[in-house]
Amino acid sequence: MPELIAPITGNVWKILVAVGDKVELDDEMIILEALKMETPIYCDDGGTITEIKIKEGDAVNEGDILVVIG
Amino acid sequence: MFNILKELIYSSGAVSLTGGNLVMWLVAFVLLYLAIKKQYEPLLLLPIAFGILVVNLPLTFLMEPEHGLIWFFYHYGIEQDIIPPLIFLGLGAMIDFGPLIANPKTLLLGAGAQAGLYVTFFAAILFGFDLQEAGSIAIIGGADGPTTIYLTSKLAPHLLGATAVSAYAYMALVPIIQPPMMKLLTTDHERKIVMSKLRHVSKLQRVCFPIITAMTIMLVVPPAAPLISMLMLGNLFKESGVVERLTNAASNELMNIVTIFLGLSIGATMTASTFLSPKVLFIFFLGLFAFVVSTAAGLLMAKFMNLFLKDKINPLIGAAGVSAVPMAARCVHKVGSEANRRNYLLMYAMGPNVAGVIGTVVAAAILLKNLG
Amino acid sequence: METDWPKVLEVFGSGIIGVFLVMILLQILTQLSTRVIDFVENWSKDEEAEAESKK
Repeated sequence: MPELIAPITGNVWKILVAVGDKVELDDEMIILEALKMETPIYCDDGGTITEIKIKEGDAVNEGDILVVIG
Repeated sequence: MFNILKELIYSSGAVSLTGGNLVMWLVAFVLLYLAIKKQYEPLLLLPIAFGILVVNLPLTFLMEPEHGLIWFFYHYGIEQDIIPPLIFLGLGAMIDFGPLIANPKTLLLGAGAQAGLYVTFFAAILFGFDLQEAGSIAIIGGADGPTTIYLTSKLAPHLLGATAVSAYAYMALVPIIQPPMMKLLTTDHERKIVMSKLRHVSKLQRVCFPIITAMTIMLVVPPAAPLISMLMLGNLFKESGVVERLTNAASNELMNIVTIFLGLSIGATMTASTFLSPKVLFIFFLGLFAFVVSTAAGLLMAKFMNLFLKDKINPLIGAAGVSAVPMAARCVHKVGSEANRRNYLLMYAMGPNVAGVIGTVVAAAILLKNLG
Repeated sequence: METDWPKVLEVFGSGIIGVFLVMILLQILTQLSTRVIDFVENWSKDEEAEAESKK
């Protein structure tokens, strides 16, 4: 199943989607924060969200799985 | 009775006020407004503004050599070169050299941006400044407050207020100054370049870097010693992981305390007689020029390097060689994401950004060696 | 005050070249030390893995 992976190390600022949402390519899904800079993360594969592995405020590393899309 | 009143009036500072003082009051009030109401760099602007205000109140002797309270701060903190190195100690304790160690080529981008300094040096000479003054103005392009203050206090102390305020002002304005140059000197295709993943940097490598850097630079360019030794010591605190109390003190309490004395001392050098001269306007102009040229130099260096690299770098990160940490890196990331929203240049830009800090110190040391 | 142009050029030239030389030197040393450390760390990891598999 496709996953949304963190491209940078940072903190989870905002989660813009919920489990069950349908997402398409290029939808803004999560906003990470690094060095006080808001960085939106966009959807790579369309589908329906089955799992959100993080919550707002979490620290994530580059390569961590953020969301699982079915 | 009348005599007492007369005494009081004559000993008051009010009678000695000059028109220049009143102008500086206005400058101080504007800066206080910007700091408090607009929250524009308040950590520095507020003490600077207050310093300007109090030093333009005559007969207080706050800046009287050997006697004035603020003179002591200025003399021991800045003239005796204690404050800028201490700020570097705190900076080092907060800086992450990881992206630089992962891609040491970015040291050359840090060097490239410094070329802008020397162009500014040349321009300052053309404007009529003498060698030492030109050196102090040139270092503004390094976008590094402490280095600017350190060099200026040694080469041209009468320009300290103007150069320091320029440096900090333009650092805050980086998001406005840099993007036009970035778009001018790079093609859309170049801006879209996605760089390959940064290699992992081990703890041992992170610990060795500050030691190697400190030794190398101090051996090759001794005048850089006060600044580079403190920067690397702070970084060693952080990377060793065994002195968390010291790391925290350096990056928090120490930084905050030193910033208070720094701001106050700088503001207190800006008396009406030193600040209100056409030279100051030239300095503000040349400071902006320095930032623009340094940005261009970094960008061009990146493009030049790309001619020889298989694994292309995104030339935008060259602009981060202007060591306004992390403002320039953030700016690079933003412009990069405008070209390609999936491009996350922030970490890549941090490499040249921190390399630029080292580069500016080296440039300052060489200027000092030649002009000191 | 007359401008000492030879001095200006000296500062300009030695400055640009000086900064580049120092940074190149630093780059070389960083790359060298990083490779050495990588090698040493991998070597000791291999040793550990071997010791584990022999047990």
